[in-house]
Amino acid sequence: MAGVLARRDRALNPEETEALLREHLGEQVLGSVVEFGTFTCKLAPEGWVEAARLARDEPQLAYDLFDSLFGVDAREEGFDVVAVLYSTSTGNRLVLRTRVPGGRDAPRLASITEIYRGADWMERETYDMFGVVFDGHPGLEPRILTVENFEGWPLRKDFHLASRAAKPWPGVKEPAELDEDGNVIERVPEIGDAPGPYELDKAMAAQAKAVIEQERVEREERERKAAERAAKAAERQARKEAKARAAAEAAAAKAAAAEADADQQPASSDEEDGA
Amino acid sequence: MSDLSTREKIHPGTAPGEDIALEIVGDGDFATTDMTLSIGPAHPATHGVFRIVLELNGERITAARPVIGYMHRGFEKLAEYRDFRQIKALVNRHDWLSGFSNELGVALVVEKMLEMEVPDRAQWIRMLIAEWNRVLNHLMFVGSFALELGAITPMFYAFRERDEIQYLLEAATGGRLHFTYNQVGGLKLDLPKGFLAESVRLSKLTQERLPDYFDLVLGNEIFQARTVGVGPLPPEVALSFGVTGPTLQAAGVPEDSRVTEPYLKYDEVDVPVHLGENGDSFDRFACLLYRIQYSLHIIDQIHDHLPAGPVNTKLPKMVKAPEGAAYQRIENPLGQLGYWLESDGGRTPWRLKMRTPSFSNVQSIPYLLEGMLVPDAISVLGSVFFVVGDIDR
Repeated sequence: MAGVLARRDRALNPEETEALLREHLGEQVLGSVVEFGTFTCKLAPEGWVEAARLARDEPQLAYDLFDSLFGVDAREEGFDVVAVLYSTSTGNRLVLRTRVPGGRDAPRLASITEIYRGADWMERETYDMFGVVFDGHPGLEPRILTVENFEGWPLRKDFHLASRAAKPWPGVKEPAELDEDGNVIERVPEIGDAPGPYELDKAMAAQAKAVIEQERVEREERERKAAERAAKAAERQARKEAKARAAAEAAAAKAAAAEADADQQPASSDEEDGA
Repeated sequence: MSDLSTREKIHPGTAPGEDIALEIVGDGDFATTDMTLSIGPAHPATHGVFRIVLELNGERITAARPVIGYMHRGFEKLAEYRDFRQIKALVNRHDWLSGFSNELGVALVVEKMLEMEVPDRAQWIRMLIAEWNRVLNHLMFVGSFALELGAITPMFYAFRERDEIQYLLEAATGGRLHFTYNQVGGLKLDLPKGFLAESVRLSKLTQERLPDYFDLVLGNEIFQARTVGVGPLPPEVALSFGVTGPTLQAAGVPEDSRVTEPYLKYDEVDVPVHLGENGDSFDRFACLLYRIQYSLHIIDQIHDHLPAGPVNTKLPKMVKAPEGAAYQRIENPLGQLGYWLESDGGRTPWRLKMRTPSFSNVQSIPYLLEGMLVPDAISVLGSVFFVVGDIDR
C-alpha cells in the first residue's frame, strides 16, 4: 500500500496522461479537456473497459479510488457515461467520458465491474435512471432506487417532472424578485454586506478565553497552595513526631537512669523516706 | 455417536470475536438447510428505512443483499428544475445529519464554475460551522452505534453535547437540521453577537467531556468483545468500492480531502487524521471518536484566525453558469462527497450528480458480512457509518 500523496511529485500532468492512454489505446482516445481544474478524457466506447483497466493497473497512473460513475443526457445523440477516478498516491483525478452507442433507443455499454467493485451499484443506478444497459454486469435488475414496476427512465430529459407538468411553479419565477405588479424589487444590501458586529464579538471571544485562562490560573494557584499546605502539614507532623520520639527517648533514658539509681541506693532512699 | 471432545466444538466456550469453528459432527444430524432472513425496512438494527436480506447457513451468513431505494426522493431530477442558488435547499436534505456540509459542496462547485472570489471571513465561518456540523454528526453515531450494541448510556451523553451545539448553530443559522446558511458567494448572514464566545466555551466543554466517551465506550470490555476483529476491510478493497471517510481511515489510508485537496482555508490550519490498523469495527469507531477530537482542535484554530470583513458578495440578478462541467469534492462527516455539476449555459443545471459517501460505503457491506455470524452483522452495520437518505437521495 503506497502512502497517500507519496508520489505527488511524480504525478503525470494531463498531457502526459493523455499521451500514455493514447500510446495504449490509439485512436480510441478521442480527445481531452481540462475544465475548472478537472481533467476529462473522451473515449470511444470500444476503449471504455481497457481505459479503466489501464487507469487502475498502469503504475504511473494508479487510480485506485473509484469515485463514481453516472450518466448524462446528451440530447439527440443519446447518453454519455462518465466515470470519475482518483489516485490516492498521486492526488490526481481522471474523468473518463464516452458516448454510449445505440442512441436513445437501445443504449448499451460494456461494464467495468470486473475492474472496480464500486462500479456495481453505480451502473445499476445509471441503468435505473437512464436505461443504459451494461453488458457483463452481474445483475441490473431489480431496479436499485425506483420501485420494481416503475415505468420510464427518470433522469432522461424527455421524462417530465409530473408535478411541474400539472401546475406551474408556485414560487417567484425569476430570481430577481418581482412585486405584485411585476416590477423588479431592488434590495438594499443590509446585514450580510456589512462587516458585522465583529469587534464586539472578538472582544467577547477574547473575554471567554480570558475566563478560561483565569480559571486555569486560579486552579493552578489553588493546587499550588494546597500542595504547600500539605507540605507544611507534613513538616509539622514530622516535627511533632520527632519531638514525641525525642521525648519518648528521653523518658526512656530517664527511666533507665532512675532504675539504675534505684539499684545502687535502695537504702538511702528508704532513709530519705523515713526522714 | 460422537464423543464429548468433539461435541465441545459445537458449543465452544470461546470469547466473542474469536473464530468459532462450527463443525458438523457424527453422522451429520446437525446439518441445517439454508434460510433467508430479511431484516428491515425499519428495523432497530438498520438505521432507518434500509433493508438487508441475509442468506443463512445456521448462524453463519453466506450472502447479504442490501435493498435500498425506500427513501429515493429524486433530488438529482429536482435539481434540474431549480436555479443554481436554490439547489442548496435540496441538497441539505440528502444527508440530514450533515446539512451544512452538503450545501457547502454545492456552493463551492457553483462558485468554481462562476470563478467567484468568496470573502475570507465567509470562508473561515464556513469552516467553523462545517466542523461543528461534523461534531454533531459524529456524536449521533457515537450514541447510535453503542445503542445498537446494547449500551444505552452513551446515547444520553451524546445528546447532552448535541443539544448545546444545536442551540449554537441555531443561533447563527436559524435551523437545526437544514441550515440553508450558505449561499453562492458566501453566507446568508454574519454570525450573531456573542456567537464566538459561546463557541469557545462549548469547544472547551466538549473537549473536557470527550474522554468520557473514550473510557465509557472504547475502554469497555463488552464493546471491545463485540467489535475487535469484526468485519475487517482491507484498504485495496475499500478503495475499489470507493469507501471513504472514517471507514477508509480505519483501514489505514490517510485519505482526507481536507488534507489531500484542501478547499476553503484548510491549508492554513493543522488537520490531524487518526488511522486504524485493522479496519475492523473497533477501528472504525475509534476513527470516528478521534475525528470529533480533531474537529474541535480545528475549531480552536479557527477562533484564532477569524478575520473581519464582509461575508458575502453581491450576485447578479441572473446566475448562469458557463457551459461545461465541474467537479468538487469535500470531506463530509461520513466520507467524501462529490458534486458533478454540468451546465448548458442555462439558468438551471443540466445535470447535478451527487456522489454521496453512504452509497459507496454501504456497497461494501455484502463483502464484509459474508461468512460472518448474525450478531456480528449488527456490529458491522452500525460501524459502516451511513445515513439512509444519503444512500437513496
